[in-house]
Formats: sequence, structure tokens, C-alpha cells
Amino acid sequence: MVTSTAIKNNKTPKRNTAHRVALGEITPNNLGQLKKLNTVLFPVQYSEKFYKDVLEVGEFAKFAYFNDCCIGAVCCRKEQIKESNQGTTSDQAKLYIMTLGVLAPYRNLGIGTKLLTHILQHATLTTQHPKFVEIYLHVQTSNEEALAFYKKYDFEIVATVEGYYKKISPPDAYVLSKKL
Amino acid sequence: MRELPSKESALFKQILKFYEYKQYKKGLKAADQILKKFPEHGETLAMKGLFLNHMDKKEEAHDFVRKGLKFDLKSHICWHVYGLLHRSDKNYGEALKCYNQALKFDKDNMQILQDYSLLQIQMRNYEAFNESRLRLLKLRHNNPRYWIGLAISYHLQENYDLAEQVLKAYVDTLKEKPGPMNFEHSEMLLYHNLIIEESGKFDNALEHLESIKEDICDRRSWKEKRAFFLLKLERHQEAKEAYEDLISDNPDCYDYYNGFLSASQINTNELSPDQCEKIIEICQTLETKYPKSNLLKRFPLQYTSDERFKVEVDKYMQAALRKGVPSLFVNLKKLYVDPIKEAIIEELVEEYLQNLKTYNTFTKSSNAGDEIEQPTAYLWTLYLLAQHYDNKRDTMKALKLIDEAIEHTPTLVELYMTKGRILKHGGDLNNAMKVMDEARELDLQDRFINSKCTKYMLRNNQPEEALKTIGLFTRGDAPDPLTDLMDMQCMWYALEEGECYRRQNNLGKALKRFHQIEKHFADITDDQFDFHTYCLRKVTLRAYLSMLRLEDQLRSHPYYFRAAKNAIEIYLYLKDNPKTINGEESQNYENMTEEEIKAAKKAKSKAKKAALKEAKKAPPVKEDQSKKKVQDDDPEGEKFLKVEDPLGEAFKFLHPLQILASKRIETHLLGFEYYTQKKKYLLALRALKRAYNIDKENPDLHVNIIRFKLEVSRLEKEDNEKREPLRDSTEYQTIFKVVNTELPTILPDNISLEVYTEEFLARNKGSMSHLLAGSNALLQINPESKQKVTNILMNSTKDEFSSTRTLKNCISVYEQLKSKLDSSKAEEFKNKCKEWFPISSYYKELDD
Repeated sequence: MVTSTAIKNNKTPKRNTAHRVALGEITPNNLGQLKKLNTVLFPVQYSEKFYKDVLEVGEFAKFAYFNDCCIGAVCCRKEQIKESNQGTTSDQAKLYIMTLGVLAPYRNLGIGTKLLTHILQHATLTTQHPKFVEIYLHVQTSNEEALAFYKKYDFEIVATVEGYYKKISPPDAYVLSKKL
Repeated sequence: MRELPSKESALFKQILKFYEYKQYKKGLKAADQILKKFPEHGETLAMKGLFLNHMDKKEEAHDFVRKGLKFDLKSHICWHVYGLLHRSDKNYGEALKCYNQALKFDKDNMQILQDYSLLQIQMRNYEAFNESRLRLLKLRHNNPRYWIGLAISYHLQENYDLAEQVLKAYVDTLKEKPGPMNFEHSEMLLYHNLIIEESGKFDNALEHLESIKEDICDRRSWKEKRAFFLLKLERHQEAKEAYEDLISDNPDCYDYYNGFLSASQINTNELSPDQCEKIIEICQTLETKYPKSNLLKRFPLQYTSDERFKVEVDKYMQAALRKGVPSLFVNLKKLYVDPIKEAIIEELVEEYLQNLKTYNTFTKSSNAGDEIEQPTAYLWTLYLLAQHYDNKRDTMKALKLIDEAIEHTPTLVELYMTKGRILKHGGDLNNAMKVMDEARELDLQDRFINSKCTKYMLRNNQPEEALKTIGLFTRGDAPDPLTDLMDMQCMWYALEEGECYRRQNNLGKALKRFHQIEKHFADITDDQFDFHTYCLRKVTLRAYLSMLRLEDQLRSHPYYFRAAKNAIEIYLYLKDNPKTINGEESQNYENMTEEEIKAAKKAKSKAKKAALKEAKKAPPVKEDQSKKKVQDDDPEGEKFLKVEDPLGEAFKFLHPLQILASKRIETHLLGFEYYTQKKKYLLALRALKRAYNIDKENPDLHVNIIRFKLEVSRLEKEDNEKREPLRDSTEYQTIFKVVNTELPTILPDNISLEVYTEEFLARNKGSMSHLLAGSNALLQINPESKQKVTNILMNSTKDEFSSTRTLKNCISVYEQLKSKLDSSKAEEFKNKCKEWFPISSYYKELDD
């Protein structure tokens, strides 16, 4: 699930005063803030398991802070690739972006880019084990802003899943993917 | 039979060593060894008692020491030990007597003299302390500690000359001067300087200060004192320079600027426009030097007005909103004493909000190329404005703004906290609590929000929830949260919990908490004991002096005051409404409103259930010594309900207030209640007069004066009617005589009480609390005047009362109307209240 994030247009007026954007850890103590963000950003309700998993993925789940206010987050899941014939795990994995979103008043400020770049950087670290070969996500077919955003970072539509969403319309989603 | 054979004698000496090295078990064994042969050796018996005392066997300890004394009444050791025992029981008075006896038999015993002097200073027996210190120095003049101790003893007697002489003499005895950065010597010199300062001779003090400059480690104190003395001596130019030097060290210290302004001969208490102008000029000059000082930016707000103020506050607020300063409102609020400034701020911030919404700028922008603000600027503006309207008690407007802020950035804890506060002010304690809990869940590691949330739970009468919440932050290795809170002397919690139980009419538990506060204060007083030796050894003398002075004023602390006020009120109530042990049947519901009764009953059944639950959960048995759980044998505080003399208990709380909080009118209002109940009319009158001298228009005071007058008149009438008075006539005649001459100084005797009350109302037009007091007084004067009183109270719906129309006042007026006067008018009043306080749960629950 992805909200429409930053597409920088050339008309962005000059901002007054420098601002601070920073990323921060998601911990059991501030999980409440992630829940708040998700209720506002996405029409989907996330399970307790989602929040439990988020605490396990380290750098692949992050808050974004703007002038010290928590205003966005990215949460990923690691997926091991199974060897097709033996069913054993290989040393290759895929990274799935479960959520990436920024609160409406803080969009077009480069925060989405910062979150995505952070994920891409860590996914391609040589020390990463298992090695990530692909990063992918679902986007609602009508969400043009999001599509444009990810295409800018060389994501490609590889599939369309009909009826992916249960409660929102249109229910179809594209699968966007990028080989690493 | 004191002399022991040589073998035992040696063993006894060993016993003394064991005590010194805290080897209590070994000592006990050795003592038993002697006692096997000489069971009546007094000193050994006493020592055995002392060991037992250290092994937590109090009763046995006392038995042995007393037995020892019986066998050897003339032994200084026995008496000394008995004194130590009393001291460890905090029974200082008795301990003093024992030491005194001990010294009779060994007048130059250093150890006993030393201990004796500690008790004397603890008991603030300055004269005796001085004698002991003098004797100690005579016995041992090589140790600096004894010189300084003697100087302190003179200082405390305000004998500054001798105190100084002792310190000078001490310095003269030093064979070589201590090195340049000797902290102890430096502190001693600064203490010496303090003595001179307190003698009032600032010129001497300054001279002395300059002379010790090179030896001082605490440079800042030295500079501060120097600037202060220069100011006191009216050497303004030098003082100014001294203060500017301090400002350059710390440009955010308020005191330095105050000193600087005083040295510039500006009296900040009464300012002319010229002087304001001067202050601003000074600030501007300083600001160029210290552009980072926050204080300098704030000064102009204080000293300008109208248009000029508008310009300054505009600049100040924009910078803070841009930066995101959560405390901005708290800073501005102090300016609200001036309603014009408040209005200017409101106008400006409203403009910001509109402009940010439309143009993304603070001011209406004329050209499109202007820079625009960050989204957080809009957020902080919403936040500021919500707090502003909350402060004005415009609940609905405040709520609307804070909700918009929460929608804008729903992750910010501060926003929820402010929303909780707005709801609380509006009278919706339940939702206030819920919002606070929501805020808490956003940041589980923030102790501040956790405590706030706990407080809101207690305000909403949910002590069990509160304990669970505060328990998230108490020490994990404590037996339970409550024990930890008590160990940590966490007073705000005890106070809030006590008040919560009081509202629920669980008076035993309430009193238990208020007594707990008293105990904390007693402990703090006891704790100073160790510092008498420690500070002398470490030569932290200035800090020691200020600690002694703090301890003397300790119970003037607001926490003590609040606990004492609650406890006194409950005990006065208990005197007329005694409770049986289980409280159930004797529950006195007469003076309560239906709401209170309901709440009390509900609380009771809840408490019972909780107690049952608690009983089921068998406490884990742990042998761990460090974790010894002290069993509370009276968790419900029943023993406080059962006291035989509740008034006596009340006085124990009242007395410290009379000494230390005599400037607070509540002290004397409580005193009046107490003395009236005790039928001590002259003391009641004294309390009235003291209250009158503090604030003669105080609403409660007015009612009390009327009550007093009515009561005394009734007594006098009774007395005159009876040929043989029931009471001791001479005593009462004296009372009447004094009252009749003294009372007119506060209650004119040439007008009727009714007229007096009407004049009181006329003087305090527009104040609801005075209206309530007046109506109360009129009802007491003439219980038949219901119609008239009702009309007076209904006046409070008029606009002129809007500024004093608080929720609390409105509830009181409603209850007065409903219970004593006219229920249809009460209904009418209630409907008005629902408009004024749309979210108040009090009025909502009335309708349910």
C-alpha cells in the first residue's frame, strides 16, 4: 500500500528557513505513532502481526521526522526465495515494501525519496545476507502519483493483480518491481 | 562491680572495637562470653543491647540496655549507649537527656560530646550547641573541624563578630597556607565571607572578598557576590561592569540582568515610560553582543506596550512558530496580566492562521515570489491558538483548533496532552483521561506523559487504573509500585490519590495518604542528621547553612500545605460524623449531594472487589533480604478513622501551618474552623483578625465573621437568660468582653449584619464566589430569606459575572439552589450552565 508521495515539480516556491529531515528507529515504545500514521495514511487496517514483524526488520522499517515531528514511515518485509525443486531456502531474498507514506501536509518535500533511498541503499549493501535480488510492492492501479514516483526510481510494472484490495475501489493493483 | 578481670577486660575492649567496625555478630558473641561469667556486668549488657539494636531486634535491645543501666547507673558507657538507642529511634529529646547523664560521669569524653552536639543542632538548641562546640575545641584545637564547628555555632546565634574571630584565629593557627586550588579552604573562606555579609557590613564583606580572590575555586559564586556587594554599596558603575561580566558568562540568567538593570538605577518594580525605553535600549545594545540569548529577546515584550509591543511580539512569535517551540504559550501567558497584550496576541495569531492557510505565510503576502513557511509553522500556530482559547475557557473553539492540529499531524504527543487539558478545563474528566492515555501510548518511554496520564486517572476517580499506569515506571525490583512510590517520597501521587479517595468518601485511605506526606516531611527533617557531620568534614559550609534554613521552613512547602488542609478538613468532618470501623452503616450521607453519594457507594463496592482480588493474589514469598516486603497491616487506613481525638489530630497539621504559612489566608480560615469546634472563641477571633489582615474581602472570611457573630450573640443571650449560668461565668464574661471590644475592628457594630453583607456584595460586584458567600451569610442571618437569596444567586446569570463564572462556582451555586432554596430555579440555572459548559460531565450526568 502506498500513498501518493513526492513528485517534485519545478514550481516549488522557496521555503523559509532550513528544515530538518531525519530518519528514526521504530521501537516497541513508539509503535503507537506508527499505528496513528497508518490509520491516517491507509484505508487498510493492519494486524498485530504486522506491528510485531516491523520490530524485527531493523533498517528496513523507519520513521521519517520533519522538524522533529514524526510524519511518515516505511515498513518492509524480507522474503526468502525457496529453491524451486528441493523446497530448501536459498541464499537469495526479495524485499517487499508493505507501506511507505508521508502525511499530506508534508508531501512534495523529498521525504518519500529519502525513505525509499534509505531502503534501496540498505538492500544493496554487500554485507547484506541473504542477498536481495529484487524489491517490489503493490500499488492501486488508480494511484498515478505513486506510479510516477516509483518509475522515477526504475521500478517497472511486472504484473496486475485483479481484486487485490477487498474494501477499496478500484480493487486492482499493479505489482511494481526493481531488480537489484 | 565494673572492674572485670584482665581477660574479660581485654575482651570488652575488643567489643568496643567490634562496634566501631560494625561487626555486630562478633560483638554479640563476645558480649555473651563475658555475660556467661558476669551476668550482671552493666556495660556489657548495654553493649549487647546496642548490637541487638543494629540487628533489628528493637525490643530486646531496649531490655538489655535498661538492664545494663540498672546494674551500673554511673557508667558513661551505659548512658551513651542508651542515648544512641534513643537516637536511632529518632527520640532526640530522650537521647539528649542520656548524653547529659553520660557527660556527668565523663565530662571530657570526645565521642559523647561530639554526639551530644549533633543532637543539639538537630534540635536547634543553639545555646547548648555553642557550649558543646566550645568545649570540643578546648579539648582538641588541632583539628580544623572544631574551629569551624565553633564558628558555625556562633553564626547560628547571630553572633557574627565572634564567628568571624574564630575563623580568623583558625587561619592564624595554620602553619602553612594551603595551596592555591584547595577546595576545602576555598569553601571555608567563602563561608567566612557569608558571615560578614549576613552581619550586614557589605563594605567589609567586599574588602574580604577581594582579599581572598586568589584562593577561591568557585569563581562564579565569587563573581556573583562581588557584583551583589557593589550594588548594595551603590557603586553603580562598577556593579554594572561586574554584572555585564556575569552576563557574558551566561547570557540567559535572569538574575544577572536584574542586577544589571538595578546597577543602571532602574527600579523594575515601578517603571515610567522613560525607563521602559531605557531598558529596551539596554537590551538592544546587549543583544548585538549576545545574539543567542533567549532572555534578551523576551525582555522587550515585558517592557513595551501597544503598537510597539505588537511589533515586538510579532517578531518573537513568528520566530518561535517557525522554529517549533512547544513552550511558546507558557512564555506568552505571563504577559496576559495585561488584557491589551492578550488581545494583541490573539489578533496576531488569528491572522497568522488565516494567512498560513491561504498563502502559506505569516503575513499577507503582496508579491507571489515571497518565501513560504514549512508545514510545521501552521501546526504550531494551531497549537498556540488552541492553548490561547483554552486559557480563555472558550472550550469549543479550543477543541476545534486542537482537533485540526491532530488531524494535521496525528503523531505529536503534545497535541493530545493539550486536548486532554482542554477537556479537563471544560469539565469532561473522563474523556480528558482517555485522551491522555492515547497520548501515553504514542510514547511509552516518556515518564512525563505517563505521570500526567496517571494524574488524569486519579482526577477521574480511578485509583486502580492510576496505580497500574504509574507502576509502569516504578522500580521493577520493588515489592509493589506503591511501596516504591513511598520509598521515593513521590508526593504528587500521594496527594492526588488522597484527594481522589476523599472525593470517593473513602476517608480512611485519604487520611492515610495525607499522613504519608507528613511522614515524608518528618523523614526529610530526620535525614538532615547525617549532614551535621558530613558537611563539617567536607567543609561544604554554605550549602550546610542553607540546608539548615531550608529544614526550618520545610513545612511551608505547598505539598505539605495541601496535605495538611485536606487532613484538617477531614478530621473536622470526622468529629461531627464519626465512623464505625467498617464504615458502612455509619456512612454519613446527609451532607452530600446525590451525585456524591452515588460516587461514594460505587467507589466502595469497587474498593471491596479490588481488596478481594488482592487477597486472592497471594503475595510471592521471597526470602531475599533486600526485598523484604513490609506488610501493611492497615491498607484501608482504618486506624485514622478510629482516632479518639480527631480535633487533636487536626491540630497536629494546623500548627506547622500557623508557624510557617501564616501569610496564607487558608491557614487562618482553617484555624477558625478548628477553634470554633474547640469552642475557643478568643483564638477563633484571633484567626478571623489574622485572615482579615491578609484579605478583608475574602468570601469565606465574610461567612465566618457572620457565623462567629451569630454564635457569640447566641451564647451571650443564653448566658443572660439564665440566672445561674451553666458555664464558668467569669471565663465567658471575659470572652464576651473581649469579643465586644475586638470584633468591631473587623465587623462594624453600628449596622445590621444584613446591611453589612449587602455592602460586601456591592463592593464585590460581578464576583460569583462573593455572591455565594453573601447568599450563605444571608441565609445564616435569616433562614426565612430564601426568596431574596434565590434572587441574588440568580443574578449570577447576568453578563457582569461572566469573568468569574467558573465551572466550580456554577456547581456550587446550583447545589445551593437545589438543596436549600428553590429547585425550579435550580433547574433554570442548570440549563444556563449547560450552555456555558457544553461538555461538562457534571451537568450531563444530572440529566441521566
